[in-house]
Amino acid sequence: MSQPNTLQEAAALASDIEQRLNQALIGQQQVVREVLIALIAGGHVLIEGVPGLGKTLLVRSLGKVLELDFNRIQFTPDLMPTDVTGHAMYDQKTEQFRIRRGPAFTQLLLADEINRAPAKTQAALLEVMQERQITIEGKAFSLDEPYMVLATQNPLDQEGTYPLPEAELDRFLFKVMIDYPDHNDETTLVNMVLDGTIRASLDVDSLTPATDGAGLLAMRKLCDSVLIDAEVLDYALRIVRTTRDFSGLSHGASPRASIALARAARVQALVEGRDFVTPDDIQQVARPVLRHRIQLSADAEIEGQTPETVLGRLLEQVEAPRQ
Amino acid sequence: MELEKASARLAPRSPWQAVDLGSQMFRRWAWPTVRIWLAFTLLPFLLTLAATSSFESFWPLVLFWWLKPAWERPLLAWYSHALFAEELTLKELFKRWRHYALPGLMAQLTWRRLSPARSFNTAIWQLEGARGDQVGLRHRILHRAPSNRAGMLTIVLFHIEQFMAYGMMALLYMLIPWQFNLEFSDWFFEQGILQTLVASTCLYLVLCVTEPLYVACGFALYLNKRTWLEGWDLQLGLTRIGKRRRSGTVAAVLLLALLAPVLPEPASAEPTPKHKTNTEQQQVIELLAGEDYMPFETRTSREWKNRDEDASEESSWWEIFWEAFFDSTDDGAERSSKPLNIPDTLIWVVFWALFAAIVLWLLMKVASQIGFSGPIRKRKHAIPTHVAGLDIRHHSLPDDLEQAVNSALEENDIRTALSLLLRVSLATLLREYPVALAAGSTEQHCLRTLQREHGQASGIEVLKQVVNAWVRTAWAHRPVSEGDVRELLAQWQSVRFVEVEHG
Repeated sequence: MSQPNTLQEAAALASDIEQRLNQALIGQQQVVREVLIALIAGGHVLIEGVPGLGKTLLVRSLGKVLELDFNRIQFTPDLMPTDVTGHAMYDQKTEQFRIRRGPAFTQLLLADEINRAPAKTQAALLEVMQERQITIEGKAFSLDEPYMVLATQNPLDQEGTYPLPEAELDRFLFKVMIDYPDHNDETTLVNMVLDGTIRASLDVDSLTPATDGAGLLAMRKLCDSVLIDAEVLDYALRIVRTTRDFSGLSHGASPRASIALARAARVQALVEGRDFVTPDDIQQVARPVLRHRIQLSADAEIEGQTPETVLGRLLEQVEAPRQ
Repeated sequence: MELEKASARLAPRSPWQAVDLGSQMFRRWAWPTVRIWLAFTLLPFLLTLAATSSFESFWPLVLFWWLKPAWERPLLAWYSHALFAEELTLKELFKRWRHYALPGLMAQLTWRRLSPARSFNTAIWQLEGARGDQVGLRHRILHRAPSNRAGMLTIVLFHIEQFMAYGMMALLYMLIPWQFNLEFSDWFFEQGILQTLVASTCLYLVLCVTEPLYVACGFALYLNKRTWLEGWDLQLGLTRIGKRRRSGTVAAVLLLALLAPVLPEPASAEPTPKHKTNTEQQQVIELLAGEDYMPFETRTSREWKNRDEDASEESSWWEIFWEAFFDSTDDGAERSSKPLNIPDTLIWVVFWALFAAIVLWLLMKVASQIGFSGPIRKRKHAIPTHVAGLDIRHHSLPDDLEQAVNSALEENDIRTALSLLLRVSLATLLREYPVALAAGSTEQHCLRTLQREHGQASGIEVLKQVVNAWVRTAWAHRPVSEGDVRELLAQWQSVRFVEVEHG
């Protein structure tokens, strides 16, 4: 399996992966791009969208194209933390406790409708996401790299849901908004299902791997060599710091957001085929990095503003860097 | 009108005491008046509801609301008789409908519909039967200062109505089982037919109470004003004295009859005229309402509150301003009872200006929400002064670009040369094709916007190459070669040369 050795090879590989994913998930180019950036940057993604837009398909496609293990957990109100991480059970044959590993022991974990489970279960993912390890009965188990959590939530039907705590939200590198495909893309999708090019069950058998986990890790390492100018880095920091004192926001983003913004901008530059970051890269990734890390003020909510509109205003007002 | 039959004490009161009298009247005759309201309005309201649900339109409800002056007329007719010990039956009210409902109704349903003093003015048409110029005259007399507060009464009762109606809806909401999964916001703000019908019914039930109260208070204000102007209390007092004197006279006559042989010839009092003609009465009313006979004298004086007596006598600029302002508006001060002496006209002008501004603002807001741009021309974008921190103002750019670029290249300053070329090309293109740019717009964002909005424009392709070269030089610290800069300059000049030739 091919492993990139230079930034050009990494950019070509990223483009190849993106192309394959777009073949499976039609009409969601922006979503594919953002998920790919998060994956290369080693972050987790929170995907928000109504059911039926291909969230599961995206994760399965990722697993297939990158040859990564994939598990899916449907979060429900009665889901227990041990159902996610695993637990120790007494084996009567051996008369010893045996560790039963939960579905979190994988490489790509799809936490479907994460906000349907209570806070205790959601919190079970905190250690997994941040430390990349799971502790069972006092014993820590490291997870295989690359590791990524893709959590989904439905913006409608909020009855009986548990909003994610700030601490957990902050651990997602991106919050990706998945919307309906446009008319042409939806027509293409339906035609492909009707003429048998793809099956209605949206399987991913037709996809072939572009690389494997090792290739992905190599790309991640190469990203570290993408140049980020001091002025550009300062621009990223100014954007994050402005969120802490901006009209319409009651709560700004943490320093973790600054790190996430710089990391994501580097990958964005790589995917664009550049070995340096421009202010435009910062702007491109600012929305998915920040939209779940800010909190609207009561006034802004009453006026019907959304995180998108406020961030749009903020990005217009923070002066672009100059050389 | 036989004032002595009045079941309420007719005495000059303050407007709010008069409103108190009105509320007392309502409390005393609550059931008869509510019954009259229901008798005259229930059927029309049910028809209104039926029309609303059939046509799925709120206009029938608006019509019912607009006809409120007509619904109030039977109530006023009943109060005006009941106060003088004649309680009309529903049958009589229906029979006399033409007499009390029609005078002035057209005016009240058209240009005077939104008059805040409706409760007061209805009595002028309905009870006095004023017509034509007489209406204006009566309005002027009865609305003279001091204010009768009829407008404030309308505002207060309007709010009470709304609070009670919303309270009733909230109560209903609380009684709806949770299984219906009804959101609070949907219940109050959804424009569905069910919500409209429920809200209308709640408002109608509230009106069953507030309308008889409103009419009673307006009628009491009217009575109070006439008591002030025509001295009804004095008239009643004199009548009582006259009665006492007549009863005293009877006793005296009996006594005199006994003593007649010893007393001289009895004195005979001059008979008091019992009736005056209407004209005379009207003349007396106007005379009493005139400024010379008004029982009020308003004196207005101004002085600064809490002003330090020991302070220097020199006034500050704002004191001078306020004094000048009040002096300029003192023309109506003698007649005004307002503490600031601001003429009524000025207040009305400010009020209507504010009202018009609010209406205009609401219209614009609604228009923008429904995406109606109307005949308003598309705003032309202002030409930015800076793009990504680069100054592109005309005076900051060289007159001769070629010379400036060459001199920078001779000094081996490629960054400056490229920067000059970028600034000039941006300034030129943005002047010709203005686009909306913000402080946060980067060079690439500017390029994308120009490509999106003016993709066919010449020069944009060259700008793209210049931007790419600049981005690499600025952010990757890898300057392009001198030859590349000269090549870009030549391309830019050729594009401009062609444009000038064709332009």
